[in-house]
Amino acid sequence: MTVEVLADRGARARRDEEVDVVIVGAGPSGSVAALHLARAGISVVVLEQGEWPDYADYTGARPEHELVSTKLWHPNPNVRDNPNDYPVDTSTTDINPLMFAGVGGSATLYGAQWMHFLPSDFRVRSMDGVAEDWPFTYEDLLPYQLEIEREVGVSGLAGDPAYPPRGAYPFPALPMGSVGQRGALGMEKMGWHWWPGSNAIPSEKFGELNPCVRRGTCLTGCPEGAKSTTDRSHWPLALKAGARLVTRARVKEIETNEQGLATGVVYVDANGRDRRQRAKVVILCANGVGTPRLLLMSGGSRTPDGLANSSGLVGKRLMMHPFASVLASYQDPLDSWRGPFGQQVYSLEFYETDESRGFVRGSKWNCMPSGGPVGVSGATGSKVYVAESGRFQDFWGANLHENVARRFGHSLIWGIVGEDLPEESNQVVLSKDLVDSDGLPAPQIIYKVNENSNRLLKFNIDRCLESVRAAGAIETLVSTPVRESGWHLIGTTVMGDDPKRSVVDQWGACHDVPNLYVMDASTFPTSGATNPTATIMAVALRNTRRMIAERRNQKVA
Amino acid sequence: MSDENAFLVLADFLIPAHGKMPKFSDVCGYADVEKSLDFRIDLKSGFARGIAVGPATGAEARLESLNKEDGEAFSAITTIAIATYYMSPRVRELIGYPGQENVPYDSKATQIYLTNGSLGQVVARGRKYRPTPGL
Repeated sequence: MTVEVLADRGARARRDEEVDVVIVGAGPSGSVAALHLARAGISVVVLEQGEWPDYADYTGARPEHELVSTKLWHPNPNVRDNPNDYPVDTSTTDINPLMFAGVGGSATLYGAQWMHFLPSDFRVRSMDGVAEDWPFTYEDLLPYQLEIEREVGVSGLAGDPAYPPRGAYPFPALPMGSVGQRGALGMEKMGWHWWPGSNAIPSEKFGELNPCVRRGTCLTGCPEGAKSTTDRSHWPLALKAGARLVTRARVKEIETNEQGLATGVVYVDANGRDRRQRAKVVILCANGVGTPRLLLMSGGSRTPDGLANSSGLVGKRLMMHPFASVLASYQDPLDSWRGPFGQQVYSLEFYETDESRGFVRGSKWNCMPSGGPVGVSGATGSKVYVAESGRFQDFWGANLHENVARRFGHSLIWGIVGEDLPEESNQVVLSKDLVDSDGLPAPQIIYKVNENSNRLLKFNIDRCLESVRAAGAIETLVSTPVRESGWHLIGTTVMGDDPKRSVVDQWGACHDVPNLYVMDASTFPTSGATNPTATIMAVALRNTRRMIAERRNQKVA
Repeated sequence: MSDENAFLVLADFLIPAHGKMPKFSDVCGYADVEKSLDFRIDLKSGFARGIAVGPATGAEARLESLNKEDGEAFSAITTIAIATYYMSPRVRELIGYPGQENVPYDSKATQIYLTNGSLGQVVARGRKYRPTPGL
């Protein structure tokens, strides 16, 4: 039986049926929760505003790839302009949030870079005197991290001295291409840390996932079905376990009763009709923008500032990881269109705080191939590398040919992810005039890159330039901060023990509404500097296990 | 001036012959341009505006004007020009680009960093993380 047949079978609950749990969002965290709850015999309905991916739509193997992907698979919903997404008011932000609505969530367009947070990420206040500690530790989360890796099919090499000892990865590391070898050479010349990339891409056949063939188009959907996204890693299993998934279902409100307990949600179906899904428990997995948006749209007259918002922190403390990139070109051929794209090598040399640098916390670097000729030309597309002069002639005419000859097949990109510290002024609010295709208020992002981040990025760019030049770079191009880089949406319903200073507890339960949970990165007190999907899925698993264990004690309406 | 000529004049200015590389119109016909536009129907209106007034004042002046006054049209013209050019099999052959190809590999093959000592040096430099016992 195919996934599609299973998915179509009685997805929507019967009229007025109350299920045990309704989950909003079928991305990484929602999928983990759905699978494990269904396996425990709990009735689950998941509402997803997007659709199942059609792998024939991924253009990576076709000649028109660079032309089509810059629109159809652009990570910015405002550029993609797909009615399944909601638009975002970005007029008041330095960084655009990036996301995708569909089964598998925003991971559909991620680079699959698979990184755990480090021990210090959970103890930022204790170690560095800023932000907050998490209510649990690295060691508390590690068993869930390792279990999730086995579900996802991660490839990598254990033994990295930047982490405490851990078990082996499920699959061997993907081959390090010439790009990774050149990136590692620069780090080795400097005597700095590097390690072969760990990626949510199995190097061998695993369940519904095919082995990676190094197509190099991870960021625009994997046509091979090799990049691990939950439409392939989790949903076939969740559907078999009895979870139900309704696509093109946009949740507009969480409903509560007079006692302030959640009773279910109202959503707009594919035909534009309002429907109600009653549930004993509601779980939000709609990302760091979508989750606070939904809470702010809910609550009605009883809570006019939004549901679960007695702390006033819903939507606040948004973190998006200010990002810089360094493109370096070399005389030697590097076959730099070949994947894996996510990370062939990563470095945590500058991850931990060193106050002599003039900032706190640190960064993670990842070395990636630079892609096809249109992208490296710098002439169009995302305009990552723009001429200071602003003259279009700098990218065209003879300059186009020379730029492509120098960079295409000969260049790598170091991506520099900087830890973003939480600030209440960086936030998600409801737009007063922009609406989605169902007339619901769009989120507005209010976000400024802070001084700590500016210093952090400058320091790391300078070090990165030293590294690539040590490896023989003949040209370097820097972009900082990259505006189209808000892949990581974190912190907008912060977890903590004190209801006055947090929205949810350490298990994701809202202090104000004990049968309403958040299980995406909205709950993270701090952002770390690594790609967050591994931690998102591990925290979701930890929360779900707790929910299952405590099911008889769960307060419900 | 026809739409075809209006665009090809602009495209040849953007992508002229240079060294071994041919100019746009040597390797791409207007049928290729129309095919590209069918992939990106969102660019059609901007593209139409970009070529609506023939480059009577010269291609460079026309493009300069579009870049300053109609960014959407400039983006449509340049995006279609560069993407169509680098889709050309002849151009791909000249720059050595097989497309985003399938590269089979042996997942169990020993990686060079394990045998040449480079990763061993990383390990030898010791622990990088800060432990957090008791915190």
